[in-house]
Amino acid sequence: MEAPKMASPKSAPKDAQVMAQILKDMGITEYEPRVINQMLEFTYRYVTTILEDAKIYSSHAKKSNVDADDVRLAIQCRTDQSFTSPPPRDFLLDIARQKNQTPLPLIKPYSGPRLPPDRYCLTAPNYRLKSLQKKVSSSAGRITVPRLSVGAVSSRPSTPTLGTPSAQAVSVSTKVGTPVSLTGQRFTVQIPSSQAAVKSATPTTPTVQNVLINPSLIGPKNILITTNMVSSQNAAGEGGALKRKHEDDDDYDNL
Amino acid sequence: DRQTLLAVLQFLRRSNLRESEEILRREARLLGDDLGAAALSPAGTGLLGAPGGDADSTGGEALLSRVTAAAAIAIGGSAATLLLCADAFAVGGAVVVEDQPDVSAVLSAYNQQGDPTLYEEYYSGLKHFIECSLDCHRAELSQLFYPLFVHMYLELVYNQHESEAKSFFERFHGDQECYYQDDLRVLSSLTKKEHMKGNETMLDFRTSKFVLRISRDSYQLLKRHLQEKQNNQIWNIVQEHLYIDIFDGMPRSKQQIDAMVGSLAGEAKREANKAKVFFGLLKEPEFDVPLDDEDEEGENEEGKPKKKKPKKDSVGSKSKKQDPNAPPQNRIPLPELKDSDKLDKVMNMKEAARRVRLGPECLPSICFYTFLNAYQGLTAVDITDDSSMIVGGFADSTVRVWSVTPKKLRSVKTAADLSLIDKESDDVLERIMDEKTASELKILYGHSGPVYGTSFSPDRNYLLSCSEDGTVRLWSLQTFTCLVGYKGHNYPVWDTQFSPYGYYFVSGGHDRVARLWATDHYQPLRIFAGHLADVTCTRFHPNSNYIATGSADRTVRLWDVLNGNCVRIFTGHKGPIHSLAFSPNGRFLATGATDGRVLLWDIGHGLMVGELKGHTDTVYALRFSRDGEILASGSMDNTVRLWDAVKAFEDLETDDFTTATGHINLPENSQDLLLGTYMTKSTPVIHLHFTRRNLLLAAGAYSSQ
Repeated sequence: MEAPKMASPKSAPKDAQVMAQILKDMGITEYEPRVINQMLEFTYRYVTTILEDAKIYSSHAKKSNVDADDVRLAIQCRTDQSFTSPPPRDFLLDIARQKNQTPLPLIKPYSGPRLPPDRYCLTAPNYRLKSLQKKVSSSAGRITVPRLSVGAVSSRPSTPTLGTPSAQAVSVSTKVGTPVSLTGQRFTVQIPSSQAAVKSATPTTPTVQNVLINPSLIGPKNILITTNMVSSQNAAGEGGALKRKHEDDDDYDNL
Repeated sequence: DRQTLLAVLQFLRRSNLRESEEILRREARLLGDDLGAAALSPAGTGLLGAPGGDADSTGGEALLSRVTAAAAIAIGGSAATLLLCADAFAVGGAVVVEDQPDVSAVLSAYNQQGDPTLYEEYYSGLKHFIECSLDCHRAELSQLFYPLFVHMYLELVYNQHESEAKSFFERFHGDQECYYQDDLRVLSSLTKKEHMKGNETMLDFRTSKFVLRISRDSYQLLKRHLQEKQNNQIWNIVQEHLYIDIFDGMPRSKQQIDAMVGSLAGEAKREANKAKVFFGLLKEPEFDVPLDDEDEEGENEEGKPKKKKPKKDSVGSKSKKQDPNAPPQNRIPLPELKDSDKLDKVMNMKEAARRVRLGPECLPSICFYTFLNAYQGLTAVDITDDSSMIVGGFADSTVRVWSVTPKKLRSVKTAADLSLIDKESDDVLERIMDEKTASELKILYGHSGPVYGTSFSPDRNYLLSCSEDGTVRLWSLQTFTCLVGYKGHNYPVWDTQFSPYGYYFVSGGHDRVARLWATDHYQPLRIFAGHLADVTCTRFHPNSNYIATGSADRTVRLWDVLNGNCVRIFTGHKGPIHSLAFSPNGRFLATGATDGRVLLWDIGHGLMVGELKGHTDTVYALRFSRDGEILASGSMDNTVRLWDAVKAFEDLETDDFTTATGHINLPENSQDLLLGTYMTKSTPVIHLHFTRRNLLLAAGAYSSQ
């Protein structure tokens, strides 16, 4: 610890001197000089919060002045909120007795990495990938194609199927003929879509209408629809390299 | 409260005070109403005067005092006043004058309008008595000062006699032993009842019994004194808050007592340390060590097939039959040995063969790893068992892993790339690693508070870290990502450690409990509750059946993993314990605390067997060498000290101390046991680790001073 560079008592403001004295009384002799500032800030914040709360309580009780009871009530409420203390001993002994009664669970051999159920792990991906959309300028007619929602819709990461709520996607994929469960493959589906049609279609019908993937349209405009797999990062990267329009308003529409 | 009332009713019935019993029964339904305290004094005397006869009155008095004491604490005096008011009716004016001083003494302390100034008189009276007693008894009776002082002070504070509490404190706090000064400072800040509410440690102290071990002679002396004069107040407190563990034998000397006292709970009762502890080691599975002749340098010759015996671990091959002190193999479920574990054990055995035998003539070399530019942020360090990786937990909530060997840290490839590799090849374990991610340092982000404890798993696949944010995180060392966050402590977690066999881990924190977890359960399997203050240090026994916890209440407890019971309590430290180390043979425990002393304990007998004085500041790191010959201790005073463990434990083989009384006469041999002191240049030592070949590694952060 650095030698405490305390301001000389003559030049430090009164409350800083008081704080230094408090620290000395509590037996804290070595501290950085900024500690006093932090403590003073904390004191100021705490006291003003309490007094404001006390003012509210006293005006609620239709009193003209804030008195000690209001302050006491304010302190009590704030203590329960922010300065919680650990559970009392009898409670701890009680739950300990309960927990310690159950025998230790047997360990299944050869069960791979021993981790809690996926729900309690942090192994799920915390992102999802947007599908790419392009405005079709010269395509003939508008095909009402519901948006494919891809990505980590559910919290279960492992199954690389397309997002569950979108029956759209499933039916699209079946039409295309690719298997629903991907194992690291990437497949391309051409979906020329238009924004407006999509927006109207999506809220109304979950089922697919008029989705005929016109093979003639599958051409150079490839859209990579990838699922939420780590492996698909490469695919997504590539898709981005081709053409990408950032349609930020699409993000939260369809899930 | 109910029980108090029932006890009082029973007493009244026994003393034939039918009317008062009725009244009390009726009034008990109105519990909590404030009753006039004015009826106190005359009524009180009446009550005690009524049961005639000395025998009765002493028994009744004791019961009454206990009842009133309990009642006063629980109901705040209303039950006492209730009782006494009830009796005012029955007894009327039959005031027995002789008993009056006793009664008023009893009552005055426990009601709101009593005379708390008498506390000072009682205390000074006791002080005078003890100082005038015989030398041989004085040391033992002086143990009473501290708990009595604290309890009386807390009574005054709890009953809201602020000024009396203050003057009581002023007058007597200087008399206490020097090692209680930290506690007294905390006490001096507790001046109001509201202050006590948030301080769980003080509340626990008030409700638990402070244990004192006093010889029978001294105890008789004390009892006689307190009962003959009007010192019932002290006698009440003694009965209420102290547990006096009486032993037959010579009274202890001051030195003996000083070695054992210091904790917030007094000493340990003899019966607390009587349970059987399986301190032996589990049998290692024996299997053949494939002998690579290139490595063995001609120790075994290829050409003699007959002599090709598998090299067994020296411990395992000793006896075929079960060590009586070792736990049964399946006492607690342990994970099975995987192939990689077996390979690791083979490596371990090979290294063990090359291990340097340490001793007073052959001290280990010490290699110090200094963390630079940590800006006082280094809070935890751990090193893998094979000394290949070192991890640092920092105050900025990061966990950093370095590779100590030239081999860099790599993470496994992504799933796409993994599907492309040839799974049948011999070097598949290298192929799964992604060369592009090779680096010397990996930083793991995830915690939201300073990281106070880190622990590698024995198979080097996982890393644990615990932090001020209340969680314990499990990180994978193959992907260098966080796998699980274990939430249970809602308060800072001060220490965590993996079991020597993996799968289980223990954590201890500010909520005064230690928890046993398994990596595949999101809730703890065992909760070890009993400490009065934060659990600051947690360690597994080498056989993974017991857990040692050191706490800020200055005790060390040993817990049984199987059923969560506390099987040993070790007192003697005068400050919070910050380091624990089990000896490799599992029989002994070394503990280090802020008082700079290292204490050695025999687990089987539950006794202190050694005290190593020398450090001048907190001992943060303790480690036994691989065969248990040397104990290394690292401290905040920037030194590493080596102690002769063989010599410290050798006179125990004779097993001739009185285990019945548990008295120890520690020889002042710290100087003889000290083998060397090695100073760093202003770097406190916070971690020590013996490599498999008995090279000592130490770690700390450079602090420019």
